[in-house]
Amino acid sequence: MLKLLGAALIISAATAAGWFQAKQYANRPVQIRKLILALRRLQTEIQYGYTPLPEALLRVGEQSGDPIRPIFASAASQMNAPLNYTAKDSLQRALDQEWKGTAMKAAEKDIMSQLSHTLGTSDRQDQFGHLATAVRQLENEEIVAREEQGSYEKLFKSLGLLFGAFIVIILY
Amino acid sequence: MDQSWLSVFPDTLRQLLAKLPEALFTELEEIRVREGRPFEVNAGGLHQFLTPDGEMTSVPSRAYHPDKQDTGRLLDLLTNHSLYTMEEELRKGFITLPGGHRVGLSGRTVLAGGRVEHLRDISGFNIRLARELKGIGDPLLPYLLDFRHRTVLHTLILSPPQQGKTTLVRDLVRLISGGSWRHPEARWPGKKVAVIDERSEIAGSKFGVPSFDLGPRTDVMDGCPKSEGMMMMIRSMSPEVLVVDEIGRPEDAEALTEALHAGVRVIATAHGTDVEDLESRPVLSKLIGASFFQRYIVLHRKENQLLFSIRDEQRRRILGVEEKEGRQRA
Repeated sequence: MLKLLGAALIISAATAAGWFQAKQYANRPVQIRKLILALRRLQTEIQYGYTPLPEALLRVGEQSGDPIRPIFASAASQMNAPLNYTAKDSLQRALDQEWKGTAMKAAEKDIMSQLSHTLGTSDRQDQFGHLATAVRQLENEEIVAREEQGSYEKLFKSLGLLFGAFIVIILY
Repeated sequence: MDQSWLSVFPDTLRQLLAKLPEALFTELEEIRVREGRPFEVNAGGLHQFLTPDGEMTSVPSRAYHPDKQDTGRLLDLLTNHSLYTMEEELRKGFITLPGGHRVGLSGRTVLAGGRVEHLRDISGFNIRLARELKGIGDPLLPYLLDFRHRTVLHTLILSPPQQGKTTLVRDLVRLISGGSWRHPEARWPGKKVAVIDERSEIAGSKFGVPSFDLGPRTDVMDGCPKSEGMMMMIRSMSPEVLVVDEIGRPEDAEALTEALHAGVRVIATAHGTDVEDLESRPVLSKLIGASFFQRYIVLHRKENQLLFSIRDEQRRRILGVEEKEGRQRA
C-alpha cells in the first residue's frame, strides 16, 4: 500500500516538473512579445514624449504588466534618489535581480544588457535606432522561441509522466 | 546654502567636495570637471585644484584627475539619465539645474548645415553655482530712479564675466518689482517687470517657474531669444520695466528701440570693462550714440567686494569705485 502511494507521488511530481518545463517553453515567446511591445512604447515615450528615462520606464512597465513591470520598475527606482545609479548600472542590476522571474533565456537578457549601454546616453534619433535594433533582435529570438515551443512543449509534458513511470518501474 | 546640486556629482567627486572646509564650501562659485585633467574649483574668486585627499593645491599635477567614468556618470546624473530630453540645451551648450545653477558643457560638436546640431563626446563641465545675494542692489538703486516719471531710468550694466552681473540684475529686479526703492522720497508702488531670460540665468527657471525670488510683479520669458522675447513681452504682458541679459546683436538694438517707443524702461547688461569699450562694438555704440541709456553701471570685483561706478547719459561720472557707498560685499 505504502509502495503504491510512493509510486503515485513520484509519478505526479515528475509530471508536474514536465508540465512546468513545458509551460516555460509556452511562456517564453509570449513574454518576448511583451518585451518587444514594451520597447516600442519606450521608443514612443523617448521620440515623441521627451519623457525622462526613469519616468518612461515606470510608465511603460505599468502598461506592460508582469513580468516586464518588475524589471523596469526596479531599474527606474535605482536611477532615482537616493541610489542615483547610472542608467546602465540600474538596468543591469534590475536584469540580474528580476530576470529569474521570467521564462526568457540568456539570449534575451544579453540583448537587454547591450541596450543598457546606450539607453539614455544619446540624442533621440540615436536612441530610436538602438531600441529598433533591440526590437529586431528580440523578434529573431521570438521566432526561435516559437519553434522551440512547437518541438518541446508537448514533448516535456509527456516526458515528465514517462520519466516518473520509468523510475517507478525501476524501483518496483 | 542649498546643497541639492551636490547630488548631480558621482560619488568620487562628491566625496572630494564634501571634504572641503565649511568656509570654502559656502563660497564655492564654480566647479570645473575636465576629463583626464585636474579637478578645479573656484571659491571666493580663488581658482585652485583639489587633490585626491580633498585638499586645495595650486599644483595641477597633484590634483585629482577625473576619468571617463566620472564624466560619464556626471553627464548621466546631470541629464536625469535622459540625454535625449536635453537636445536643445546641448545645442546651446548648457543645462540649468533646479535651484538655478548652470552647467556649461564642452565637447565635440556635430554640425548640420553649418549650425551646431548636437554636442557629443562631452568632456568639459563648468558647474556655476547660482547665488542669491539679497540687498546687493540696495546702494545702487537710488541712482537709477526717475523721480519725474516715478519709475527707473534706462540702465546698462557693464562688466566682464564672473563679476556678479547676473546676481546684481536679479536683485534689482526683485527691488523694482517689490517697490523697495531704497530712497526716502521714492514713494510709488512696484513696477511690472518683464525678464527675458534667454540663458535661464537671471531667474533660473525650472519648468517655467523661477527658482529665485524676483519680487511679486515679475514675469519671466525663459529660454527665449532676446529680441523676440522683448517684442512678445511688450505685446502681451504690458511691462513697465524690461530686463534683458547680454545684449549685443543687431536685432537687440531694434527691439530696444521698440521698447523705448512703447514707453517701457529697460535695464540691460553687456560684457565690457568700460563705457569707452562699447564704442568699438557696432550695435552698442549705436545705442550709446543715440543716448538711449540714461545710466551706465560698470562693475569690478576685488577680493570679494563688488565695486561699481555709475555714469549718466553724457557718460559723466556720478559715483566712482573709490567712493565708500559703491562698495558692497559680494
